[in-house]
Amino acid sequence: MNEETSATTVLRLRPPKHQVSRKAMGYWAVWAAVFWLIVLTVQTVIVTTSDDAPTWITVTLVISCVLTPLHLLVMPRWRYRIHRWEVTGEAVYTQSGWIKQQWRLAPISRIQTVDIERDPVEQLFGLAKLTITTASAAGPLRIAGLDRAQALALADELTSATQAIRGDAT
Amino acid sequence: MTAPEDVVMAAPVDVPWHRLDRRMLFIRPVLDLVKSLPVLFGALILGHGDSWQWIGVAVTALTVLAGISHVLTSRYRITAEQVEWHTGLLLRKDRAIPRDRIRTVDVTSEPKHRLFKLAAVRIGTGRHSHGKGPGGDELLLDAVSLDEAQRLRTTLLHRKAVVTADEPAVESSEKLVAAIDKRWLRYAPFTLSGLAVIGAMIATVYHFAHELHFDPVEYGPLRSLVARSAEAPTWLVVVLAAVALLVAVSLLSVGGYVLSFWNFRLTRESEGTLHVRRGLITTRSVSIEEDRLRGVEVKQPLPLRAVGGARCTAIAGGLWEGKSADKGGGLLLPPAPLARVHEVVDVVLGEDYDPLTVPLTRHPRRALNRRLSRAVGGVALLAVALFLLSWIDFLPDWPWQVALVLLPVAAVVGWDRYRNLGHTMTGRYLVTSYGSLDRTTVALRREGITGIVLERSFFQRRAGLITLVAPIAAGKGSYNVLDLGESDGLALADQAVPGLLTPFLTRVHPQLVDESL
Repeated sequence: MNEETSATTVLRLRPPKHQVSRKAMGYWAVWAAVFWLIVLTVQTVIVTTSDDAPTWITVTLVISCVLTPLHLLVMPRWRYRIHRWEVTGEAVYTQSGWIKQQWRLAPISRIQTVDIERDPVEQLFGLAKLTITTASAAGPLRIAGLDRAQALALADELTSATQAIRGDAT
Repeated sequence: MTAPEDVVMAAPVDVPWHRLDRRMLFIRPVLDLVKSLPVLFGALILGHGDSWQWIGVAVTALTVLAGISHVLTSRYRITAEQVEWHTGLLLRKDRAIPRDRIRTVDVTSEPKHRLFKLAAVRIGTGRHSHGKGPGGDELLLDAVSLDEAQRLRTTLLHRKAVVTADEPAVESSEKLVAAIDKRWLRYAPFTLSGLAVIGAMIATVYHFAHELHFDPVEYGPLRSLVARSAEAPTWLVVVLAAVALLVAVSLLSVGGYVLSFWNFRLTRESEGTLHVRRGLITTRSVSIEEDRLRGVEVKQPLPLRAVGGARCTAIAGGLWEGKSADKGGGLLLPPAPLARVHEVVDVVLGEDYDPLTVPLTRHPRRALNRRLSRAVGGVALLAVALFLLSWIDFLPDWPWQVALVLLPVAAVVGWDRYRNLGHTMTGRYLVTSYGSLDRTTVALRREGITGIVLERSFFQRRAGLITLVAPIAAGKGSYNVLDLGESDGLALADQAVPGLLTPFLTRVHPQLVDESL
């Protein structure tokens, strides 16, 4: 029966259920603003201080001025839409990526470490980043922009679930 | 009073400590001295003034003393639970590795060791240390006697046998799987390993000549050679140079093959380990626990493929590819006839069939466009860049013309890449095949795969393709199945790690397919 249905239907992977905290948009915007502030400052200093600034430097400054608000407006919303996660009793599932999309799944039984990280800006927004590693070198699963309390609860849940299963089956 | 470490490592039975072989005291200082010669010379010749010279001497003396103290102060022992290791005089280091985490034992005898019948023993665990510093989960005993190395190997890997039978009189039986065949030497030139040696040699000569302001072309036989070749027609010079290079590469490749793979023997021991021994001057002996075998990889670089050869590597926990010392650790068979490779894979995996010979499912035709556009597009971009550079008189005309000639070659390579794409799920193995210039076929045991990663680039999304990445705690760390059709890829992932994807999969009618994966 299964084969019959597979002939007429196609498989699709549904996105993970949860979105990250809405505060993450502010967090991403702050980092982007810091980046653009540095770029714009450097460009402005060059244009204003040099006696005979080449035209192309002025042109790049104008381009930066146009790009900055666009990036600050579009990027956080877009990221917020893309970054999703889900944890079930069996697995951790994340979705990320803008131009190159990526879906990562890891069975709970294979989890080796669960880390929580917070940089200063994340602390300001009450956010945390969760990093979940398995024994493979293919890279960990990362959930960035989680609400701090939620991240702590999730880390606790994952750690106890991992400890309940002996060994990481490597 | 007991020493502090005895309190920490209180073993039920007092296991005696072993030390590194004292004969290393003859070898280590000499080698350390040779290694620090550049520093010494630099300080003595270039350093004007006494203070610089003394610093150079002091650094050298410290290096030699550190080496001696390492040999004198390192000690290790094997208790029932773990391997313990201490070293250092001023800076003390302790390390303990649980015995049940030991996956491989690699015994290497370099020429310096062979002088006194010694060997360096590398004890590997399956973990990739996540930023815990290099070798955090590895132990290197450099060096112990060959007998001791053998003892370590058998005690550490044959623990099941040790538990059941304590008397060492019980001989473990060893079955030969493969041994070197002199006829395999004919594959050596096609490995092109000599090319790297020639490249390194030319680079070294050029570097020294440049440093000493000495142009080799100005002197001796090279000068007359260059003068004579200037008179001869260009095509003749090119052909002669190509032939000379070919001969040199072939000779060096054969030499390299003999050095690395002489006395090659792959055996299977009754305790469930695979044992590889090889090498003419530097001998190497690697043991792999069969329980930890996660799969095999067969590589066929284009020249080797053209003459029907292949080489085979084990994918096993504790054997990571790429790190200098571990390079080639998983080798199961040096370049040899493809049929022989399949026989060995058959025995090594212990199945009643060879998963690598199962017919593979081809990838959709959309994948061909992608392979072609990537191969041809790259060369085309290069040609355009070279043309622009010659247009502004930065480069002569011939580079972009050569790039143009390479376009059809790139197209053929792209087509071959598509032809070699394939995958299947057979029994407990996920098989994937890819590559043209370095064609690779991999069979992974399902139980070794630690998750699923699906990737889709912008162009793949438009073509309805995805790449499946199978992470694994062995070998390269992950293996790819490139450019699968979306639905097929999901089905394959669902089979590769049963149950992991199932809750997140939905079935839809083709008419209702939207942008989401």
